[in-house]
Amino acid sequence: MRFRQLRHRHPEKPVKGEGGEASSHASRERIRRLRSLAGRDLWSMALFMAVSIVAYDGFAVLPDLPPGIREMLGTPPSAAAVSGLLVLYTFSALILTLARIIGGFGAYGGVYHVVYLTAFYAFYHLSGALPDNFWAVFVSGMTILTLECYHLWSWCSDRIREERESLDEENGQDNDSG
Amino acid sequence: MIRSLIGRAIIPVAITVTGFVVVCCLLLYAVLKNDMTADAVSQANMLADIVVKSTRYAMLREDDETLRNIIENISTREGVEHLRIFNKKGLIEFSSDKGEIKRFVDKKAAGCIGCHAGPVPAAMLGDMERARHYVNEKGASVIAITAPIYNEPDCFNASCHVHPPTQKVLGTLDIGLSGKPLEMSLSTMRKRMAVFSFLVLILTAVGVTALLARAVIGPIRMMTAYCRAVGRGDWRGSFPSFRGEIGELAEAVRRVAARAEESRGILHGQEKKNTGTEQPPEDPEGADRSAGTRPEDSGSEQ
Repeated sequence: MRFRQLRHRHPEKPVKGEGGEASSHASRERIRRLRSLAGRDLWSMALFMAVSIVAYDGFAVLPDLPPGIREMLGTPPSAAAVSGLLVLYTFSALILTLARIIGGFGAYGGVYHVVYLTAFYAFYHLSGALPDNFWAVFVSGMTILTLECYHLWSWCSDRIREERESLDEENGQDNDSG
Repeated sequence: MIRSLIGRAIIPVAITVTGFVVVCCLLLYAVLKNDMTADAVSQANMLADIVVKSTRYAMLREDDETLRNIIENISTREGVEHLRIFNKKGLIEFSSDKGEIKRFVDKKAAGCIGCHAGPVPAAMLGDMERARHYVNEKGASVIAITAPIYNEPDCFNASCHVHPPTQKVLGTLDIGLSGKPLEMSLSTMRKRMAVFSFLVLILTAVGVTALLARAVIGPIRMMTAYCRAVGRGDWRGSFPSFRGEIGELAEAVRRVAARAEESRGILHGQEKKNTGTEQPPEDPEGADRSAGTRPEDSGSEQ
């Protein structure tokens, strides 16, 4: 699985004068970016909900696959095989996210998960078992994306707190020198 | 932002464990539902074949009265929603619903379309293809089986010779059984799985809370209380020992407190030398302390 690694530069030691102002401005800019980043996984969740609504209806809004393409794709995998893969995928995705939470790595993979989950909907649909297995894919997606969301939000909150502390320290030094 | 250690530990663990258990339960439910439906269809197929065999002799003898009786008696059984026999053209000859006798069935309806989809009707069908699951006009869930009545040697060799040997199917028996028992079993299974998932959630949350409270939160609270007391100038408090990472942290705190106490004593001595007069200590409790317990000496093994 590929994940986007977030880069976080630790706040530089504030310097007095123009350099200090520039550093303070950079800190504020980083806080603004972190705030917008904290809610980014919600977009992945919204995208997954939209895909789920389409899948719930059996992809009725999409045109049927032409018989030629279906024939080219071959026999769809059995529902049992897709279910086995779903369990394996859910387990590994949760373990990887937990590992990133423990390690404090600011990486997130919300959009990639939406792609994988859409593939599961598609495979179940092709094997004719989507109505029976829809809720399993939906709960799996919601669990993974909620955990990703929580991880990204708590990681950003910690970084914002660090930036604020650095800003406060810098302001305190400026006041002392003033 | 969640500040408490317990909150930060419980949320990811509870989401992970409960989510994974629910996904596994849903997949297991889908597999069990398929197996149970296949079992119910297999039972219904067996019953349909028994009815066909039971009516065979009456059909051979063209004994309509006996056939009607058999149909009526079977349809009075609880769980049998309908029972009808229609000929190759689709004309209903016998039925538990007298109103539909001598009417034609819709060949495009579910249960018929399986054989009549192509230009030539299929003569042989598998167990699952003979079954259909639907909700009837009374709102009851029905598992229906359409069992073909085949033309066998004793039919086309009979003296009447009504059916030629080339005709494969003479008619069809259609029996509808209530799907209520199957749905009740599935509903009970769903409820049990929901209770199981909820118990897993509660157990995870309580387990993580209890472990954290015992191994981390308790020692941290004790250390916080000790540090606060030292900060207020109260050196009398005892400091319990811990094991593992918390023990190392406690040891470090204890050393810092001891070093601070030493520095305080040195500072106080110098002050006395500088002034050259005996002054009572600032902290009246300090006197007790000199004769009493030092924080590093008073630890008890936990």
